Amino acid sequence: MMTAGLKTIISLSFILAIGFLLVILSCALFKEYLPLLVVATYVLAPIPNWICGRCADPDDFVESSGNVVVDFGKFCTGFLVVMGIALPAVLAHSDLIRIPAMIMSIAGGLLIYGTIISFTMFFQEEQEF
Amino acid sequence: MSEERLWKFRRPEWMNSANARSAGVYGAGALASLAFFAIIDAAVWSKSHWNGSEVHVTFVDWLPLIFSFLGMAIINSIEKTRLSADSFSYSGSGVAWKARVVLFLGFASLAGGMAGGVTVLVLKYIVPQTSWPTLYMGVANVLANGLVMLSSVVLWISQNMEDEYSYNLSL
Repeated sequence: MMTAGLKTIISLSFILAIGFLLVILSCALFKEYLPLLVVATYVLAPIPNWICGRCADPDDFVESSGNVVVDFGKFCTGFLVVMGIALPAVLAHSDLIRIPAMIMSIAGGLLIYGTIISFTMFFQEEQEF
Repeated sequence: MSEERLWKFRRPEWMNSANARSAGVYGAGALASLAFFAIIDAAVWSKSHWNGSEVHVTFVDWLPLIFSFLGMAIINSIEKTRLSADSFSYSGSGVAWKARVVLFLGFASLAGGMAGGVTVLVLKYIVPQTSWPTLYMGVANVLANGLVMLSSVVLWISQNMEDEYSYNLSL
């Protein structure tokens, strides 16, 4: 539907850089490096989906065990995505980080995750042929 | 299919699409994550300097959530097609019956977790008459158990959707 051209790559990497900037700024401004965990969470988030998508054969509709593995991967991905939002909120609620740091790390993490998702969406189209 | 219907209301058509199914599974994961982090938040907050009281989160507060997650795992490990397999000969002797017993254990564990959460809230926080910021730890406990229950409901519904979907496709 959409061709992944040079402009897409440039804008995606730009957004990724802004996301990392926000997360690192939220750590460095307040000398408290716990929000860096958000990056790890969002990088880990699509991995259960990929692994379980490899393990199961989605074209096989008769055997229902494959779909269960795919569902488990989706469940874990949903868990990790919400974890990326909930982790800064927990840290801010217990006053381990400040509220502005929480806002910055959540926004940066969402930008990073959006970049990863749109990257896979753009470049999966070509591999299907 | 329509002769064997149990409920009066039909499931809306849009719920049978593959997208609604995966959205349901993602949503169930998100709800389970919210439940887990509600209790984590209470535990971390309990040790932070905001908590001026003597009351802290102990293992007793974690126990209901452990039972809730155990019940959720049991419920969602059961093969759903076996539950209604009474009339089919391939299901062997009493598989449906065994599946229902295990399912009952799962639901009992889930409801026991919810009841345990309310018990902890009442016995540990309301009866000693703690004030609001301390009371939050008990409320978060009940909230976490309710979210686990909601998550397993969403997962159950979306996995039943899957059955309908694959049934339509295989025909």
